[in-house]
Amino acid sequence: MLRHLLLGAVAAFGFYILTSAISSFNDFRVGEIAVYAIALAGLSLLTGTNGQISLGQGAFMAVGAYTLGVLMTHTHLPLVVDVLAAIGLSGALGLVVGMPATRLKGPYLAGMTLILALGLPRIADKYSTFFGGDQGLTVNSPTPPGTIDPQRWLSWIEIVGAIVVLILLANLTRSRFGRSFRAVRDDEIAAGLSGIHVARTKVLAFTVAASCAGLAGAFLGLSVGVVNTGEFSLTLSIYLLAGMVLGGAGSLVGAWWGAIVLVFMPGWSTSIANSFNLGSAVGANLALVVFGLVLIVVIMAAPMGIQGGIGWLGRRALSLVGGGVPAPGAPTPRQEGNEPVGSIPSIPPPAAPAAPARNIREQS
Amino acid sequence: MSLFINLTLNGITNGMIFAAVALGLVFIWRATHIVNFSQGSMAMFTTYIAVTLLDRHINYWLVFAAALVAGLVMGGVIEVVLIRPLRGKHALNPVIVTLGLFILLEGLAGSIFGVGNRSFPPAFSQAGLTFGHSTIAFSHFDLFILAAVVILMLGTLVLFRATNMGLRMRAAAFAPEVARLLGVRVGRILTLGWALAAVAGSLAGLLVAPTVSFSPNFMDLILVYAFTAAVVGGLDSPVGALVGGLVTGLSLSYVGGYLGSSLEPLGALAILMVVLSARPEGIFSRPAPRRV
Amino acid sequence: MLDVEDLSVSYGAVQALQGVTFQAREGTVTAVLGANGAGKTTLLRTVSGLVKRQSGNVSYGGVELTGLSVENIVRLGISHVPEGRGVIEELTIDENLRLGTLWQFGRQERRSVLDEIYELFPQLAQRKRRMASTLSGGERQMLAIGRALSSKPKLLLLDEPSLGLAPLVTAQIMALIQELARETRLTVVLVEQNVRSALSIAEEAVVINLGRVVIADTAASVAADTELRHLYLGF
Ligand SMILES: Nc1ncnc2c1ncn2[C@@H]1O[C@H](COP(=O)(O)OP(=O)(O)OP(=O)(O)O)[C@@H](O)[C@H]1O
Ligand SMILES: [Mg+2]
Repeated sequence: MLRHLLLGAVAAFGFYILTSAISSFNDFRVGEIAVYAIALAGLSLLTGTNGQISLGQGAFMAVGAYTLGVLMTHTHLPLVVDVLAAIGLSGALGLVVGMPATRLKGPYLAGMTLILALGLPRIADKYSTFFGGDQGLTVNSPTPPGTIDPQRWLSWIEIVGAIVVLILLANLTRSRFGRSFRAVRDDEIAAGLSGIHVARTKVLAFTVAASCAGLAGAFLGLSVGVVNTGEFSLTLSIYLLAGMVLGGAGSLVGAWWGAIVLVFMPGWSTSIANSFNLGSAVGANLALVVFGLVLIVVIMAAPMGIQGGIGWLGRRALSLVGGGVPAPGAPTPRQEGNEPVGSIPSIPPPAAPAAPARNIREQS
Repeated sequence: MSLFINLTLNGITNGMIFAAVALGLVFIWRATHIVNFSQGSMAMFTTYIAVTLLDRHINYWLVFAAALVAGLVMGGVIEVVLIRPLRGKHALNPVIVTLGLFILLEGLAGSIFGVGNRSFPPAFSQAGLTFGHSTIAFSHFDLFILAAVVILMLGTLVLFRATNMGLRMRAAAFAPEVARLLGVRVGRILTLGWALAAVAGSLAGLLVAPTVSFSPNFMDLILVYAFTAAVVGGLDSPVGALVGGLVTGLSLSYVGGYLGSSLEPLGALAILMVVLSARPEGIFSRPAPRRV
Repeated sequence: MLDVEDLSVSYGAVQALQGVTFQAREGTVTAVLGANGAGKTTLLRTVSGLVKRQSGNVSYGGVELTGLSVENIVRLGISHVPEGRGVIEELTIDENLRLGTLWQFGRQERRSVLDEIYELFPQLAQRKRRMASTLSGGERQMLAIGRALSSKPKLLLLDEPSLGLAPLVTAQIMALIQELARETRLTVVLVEQNVRSALSIAEEAVVINLGRVVIADTAASVAADTELRHLYLGF
């Protein structure tokens, strides 16, 4: 707990220096990274730690954003209340949708969240007078105290929010609940036999993930200044999945790597398409292709993601410095043998050749 | 009253299409216990191949067959290249890969064929049939849809029930290890399952395309409705896919007709929630024998 | 002849077999005995290719089995009745039997092979079209053995055929195994907990304890070794 708080304080100070040194537009970028890190951390907990998959993280972001937008448009509550309502409502929706799906073993949560991702934006379109229609709802960003640049103030809020969320999630994964999350991921039947309430554990993880998305959505609304359905397509949900997998499923630090890629990739892919004269059709679709490939390649070739790779490099470096003695927990050469039953499940496979899974999963 | 009749007819036609895609999901679920979220995109892609061939003035039915063959090859190749290496890993891994494939194929289709909407000529007239003075929402093309899906379903039934290959497929689905001990080349059977699933999907794509102005994501909603249909039918039963398809098609047609088409996805969500809460194994699957 | 040489197998950290060596001669029954968790099932599964070896060799009739796929090992004439029988409940009895014949026989031959099996197990013949899930334990065992025989194997691997069967049925099945080995030159490797009946029909016996061979000798001398019996076989 103390360690997480300390880490959080250091990170906050780092961001403070960073945002002081950069332009307002880059403040916006840094804020966006924090926003995506929140959504990804929730998803990472759900998928990497608990072994469930959601294609609706973007849809829950939409719920958060629209809650904020609607409350701002139709009421005059303090911003904190709006944001808390965004978290609460998306969490509640997560609970309602998750309950029937997570009671069962299988692909139901994925399918239901996919429907949500496709279906929710249509609701906003249908009731356009309430939800603002094509223009969307206007959202006012909070007024900063003194002479602080509003953009910088907002990104500070978002960064602090992200750090608080990550500290909370880090403590959650270390708690009794975290152990249940992992036990359910590794073997539902065994977890059930050892007294864990499997369905309740899954619903809890899903609700936490949805709440994170709600907060991220509300923050994103504040950053952009409007809330409209175009931003919360199915594509967003799948991009979030790609960012999570790329950063390292189950790793809270990995959420930051994923967030950085999510924020910068669309710009990169457009400029790549332009510099190779690939034409506008390719330019518009390159991000889809890239994220599609990310999902496939990472899972097939490097399931521990960026953060797992960094951990592996770190241990390699340590072991080289230490005169070639393998660091504790460094991979032993895999002998020819058979996987023990019950240890196969996990997104980063426990027997991942590069790094022992414990080190990957327990990073925070 | 006539609205109700038309919605019913429309629901049946749509339901048959959902059933075809759902059948593909069932094939893959039985073979590899994965829900293939790229099933819709794969169908979209073969439909684009078909429309590109039609642009070259190649015979319509030849193109039709070519699209089905393209699906067959695509499904098989995907299983071998992307799914097989993940065997034995946590079930989430292949699911994430199919999601990657989902957007990869849409991105590729957009890059290669352009994002603009295209139209696909129907094989038969799409004008509603007339009886006396009234026209119903059912055309020759709808009849073709029904016939095509019924043939697909009968073909599946014959394959599973009356052929040795079907026996191998069932054995591989129920007890892969025992099947291998009996000499069944289970790996090939799984590839075949994916290939046949993609054929069913391709067929659905060809049947849907003329009814919409299509773009790379035109199969997205159909995929989720087919998923709903497959779950309603129990995920592993071909007959269940048909029944689930009709139930879903009819329900969503009524939802769309009476409440507004933008509520259809939520209708599907509601169906799923009700079915999963009340009868998790689907309304059409026989209770699975308990295995220890 | 089945030749297992210095075979080791592990499941992660669990060393299930260590340096196992023995032979099973053509036309004989070789009993593999040992306590629960000794590694008997693992041994059979390694022979039929379901489990990868760590080191050592398995060959049959001079053909190296290690590295071959399960499906190809079956095609050398090796049939494995797995622990718990492996009857596919979702298929009918006839379908279960037919499955074993698909890889080698044409339509005509298949019919005659199945007729032979039905002749051997008349109980099965009466209910060809019933689902296998409706069979009793003994009938399932007959189906499993019949199915293994339907591919006309040269080597039969049986994993605890007597499990859960009444003594009378066990005796019938043992008699059948002995007869098959004598009359059709079938090589049988018989894993059993039911030590007495196994030793009564076997020529050779291998006793395994904690993954190692304790003794591999004639069944008669294993049965005669009182100390061995007390230590490892519990009678
Ligand atoms: N899939 C597996 N994963 C991990 N360990 C296994 C696996 N299968 C077997 N083992 C272990 O290997 C050892 C040998 O098991 P095996 O099933 O071969 O024993 P056995 O002699 O057949 O026992 P029994 O008489 O109870 O059937 C045991 O310690 C068992 O726990
Ligand atoms: Mg055993």
